[in-house]
Amino acid sequence: MRKIIIALLIVFMATPALAVDGNSLLLQIDRNLNPDSYEAYKKLINIEPNGKKKEFVLFTVKKGKDKVAAMFLSPASEKGRSTLRLGENMWLYIPNVGKPIRITSLQSVVGGVFNNSDILRLDYTSEYNVEKVEDMGGQYILHLKAKAKTIAYDKLKMWAQKENLVPLKLECLTEASMLVKTIYYKDVKDFGDGIVRPAVIETDSPLYKGYKSVMIFAKMKARELDDEVFTMTFMPNLDSLR
Amino acid sequence: MGEGVAIMNYKHLPIPRPPSLRKRKLFAGQIAPQTDMCNDVHQGRKNSNFYEIIKFLTLILFLLPLPARAQDEYSFDLSEIEKEIEKKPYTIGGYLELTPKVFWLDHDAAFYRLNFYDRQEKDYLDEYNVKLSMNGGYTKGISEIYIRSNINRTESGIDPGTDVTIDEGYLSVKPSSTLNISIGKKVMKWGKGYAWNPAGFTGRPKNPDDPDLALEGYIMATADYIKSFSGPLKVIAVTPVIIPVYDHVNTDFGVRNNTNYAGKLYLLLYDTDIDFMFLKGNSRPSRFGADFSRNITSNFEIHGELSYINDITKKTIDSSGTITQSTDDAKSFLFGTRYLTESDITFIFEYYRNGTGFTSEEMEDFFSLVDDGFTAYRSSGDETLLKKARTMKEGSYGRPNPMRDYLYLRISKKEPFDILYFTPSVTCIYNIGDKSFSLSPEILYTGITNFEVRLKAGFIAGSENTEFGEKQNDYRAELRLSYYFDAVQ
Repeated sequence: MRKIIIALLIVFMATPALAVDGNSLLLQIDRNLNPDSYEAYKKLINIEPNGKKKEFVLFTVKKGKDKVAAMFLSPASEKGRSTLRLGENMWLYIPNVGKPIRITSLQSVVGGVFNNSDILRLDYTSEYNVEKVEDMGGQYILHLKAKAKTIAYDKLKMWAQKENLVPLKLECLTEASMLVKTIYYKDVKDFGDGIVRPAVIETDSPLYKGYKSVMIFAKMKARELDDEVFTMTFMPNLDSLR
Repeated sequence: MGEGVAIMNYKHLPIPRPPSLRKRKLFAGQIAPQTDMCNDVHQGRKNSNFYEIIKFLTLILFLLPLPARAQDEYSFDLSEIEKEIEKKPYTIGGYLELTPKVFWLDHDAAFYRLNFYDRQEKDYLDEYNVKLSMNGGYTKGISEIYIRSNINRTESGIDPGTDVTIDEGYLSVKPSSTLNISIGKKVMKWGKGYAWNPAGFTGRPKNPDDPDLALEGYIMATADYIKSFSGPLKVIAVTPVIIPVYDHVNTDFGVRNNTNYAGKLYLLLYDTDIDFMFLKGNSRPSRFGADFSRNITSNFEIHGELSYINDITKKTIDSSGTITQSTDDAKSFLFGTRYLTESDITFIFEYYRNGTGFTSEEMEDFFSLVDDGFTAYRSSGDETLLKKARTMKEGSYGRPNPMRDYLYLRISKKEPFDILYFTPSVTCIYNIGDKSFSLSPEILYTGITNFEVRLKAGFIAGSENTEFGEKQNDYRAELRLSYYFDAVQ
């Protein structure tokens, strides 16, 4: 009887760690990664197995759960191109073409490993539910499940630093738990106004052996933006926000 | 969606990639240069030069994917990036483009006879084009001045020369994110079609063979007013346009000494882009249109477009050279889709009904006129019929895709054979009415920063008296080398 009581006590004592509200934790991680509404610059670097690199610089703005837009500042061949995501709607504007066209989220506007959604990222909480949280001492491991079938990866496994609640590593998995991509969050930097987050994100994939993509963040800051900024008609004018 | 996480649905994408007298002809003549003829005086020397250039450019093309500089990890300095992204009040940029082309001519085709009957017979034409496109802008407060111009030098046996055009040049004022007012020369493209835009009332027609080419604008005053909402109707945007047509102003838009009014209403409703547009004025017949575009799934998009033109006058010519004018309403429409497969192949497919187009019989009459005119010229030197035909060619008969029903299919494969930034594609334009078609394979490589290489060929198939069968050329090859620059960075 005493053994049973001790066993029950151990179970009950262990419960607080399991009782972490995963979705609240994920929301906190989202807010630590970026303010709800913000502007930022990103440098994308595609690195090929032979060391050859191609770089892109973008200005990006985001508002709320489903609005994000980006404009290429360099290289010259891409300058002025802009992309807009409004929920699951996506458009691409190319200055030479002269009008925005609707694109599918599966396309890539930059070539290489990055695709449209790498550039037009929404919050994790807008697309994933937390199924399980593991407490690993200094880290949490969050097991995320896509809210809808249309979402890119069925599952995500996220390692997050307990101390500051920012991700360290993210594995993107298929429904059959096949690893598609691993993302590493590096170089935590103070961007000011309370934004302390990784400035560098590296991505590799067993499906793209030898290839690597890097995203470097700069000048991220909270910013109030009008909803009209996130419209097809405004796309050619994104540069006026800078 | 996660940081740096692709939205690709990998559940369904398990294997992404790293990176008569006349011959009846098959694959005959395409894209006649729309120019008058002149004597070719240096053909032999130029031919030799041409092949040297082609050899050289081909060598460059095959070397492009090879540069392998051993560079290990990336490195960066945030302060350097911050300098790089610093906004300047002015921008200066553009591209330099070199485009050698060769056309293999079809001596039996109607358009060859029309263009060459009074010239020395040729088996092929070579053409070299150098284009410098510059754009610049200056921003102060809520105002911006923008200009885009081209200097185009063409060396050719038929129409050499230099053109300087200002494609765009306007002042825009943006008092808020909801309002943008512009005045000046501006490109305004309406419609959702990829190859054709029957509802593109305020712009110049696209070349379906190269729909992404930058076009010249018209002088106009316009504004965009945007309003966002929550709910099924997410966005409304209103675009009024005024297009004046007077001496020296938009002279090719239509009848002069008129001011034309156009407008577009855009709605994002239930995740569907919807536009309604109109053009009213005396320079062109009044017209109304609508279009839509919607993603059905994350890799499948559909679109459509229609236009209704009131009382449009159509000129036809019969085989004896008699011109007939008729006035009627014209209805044009287009349906299309864009589909991306699991193996990263993009299909763009469109059906286009051109309500202003010629019937097969009307085109046959035109070709018969050229045929009879050519016979008359050969036998008696009488150019009357051919000159009439040339005049009509400069009008509607010589425009791209002048007939009624077309299918368009473009298939492109992103980065096959592990070659990053390499995109091969093939495009087919099929004339349903006469069953002739063009087929254009193409490869594009963008792996070197700011440098783009495109190699394109054109083949056509069509029997006698068909649109593609009567084009000037049998085959065509074109290499386009583009270098983009940003003079401010």
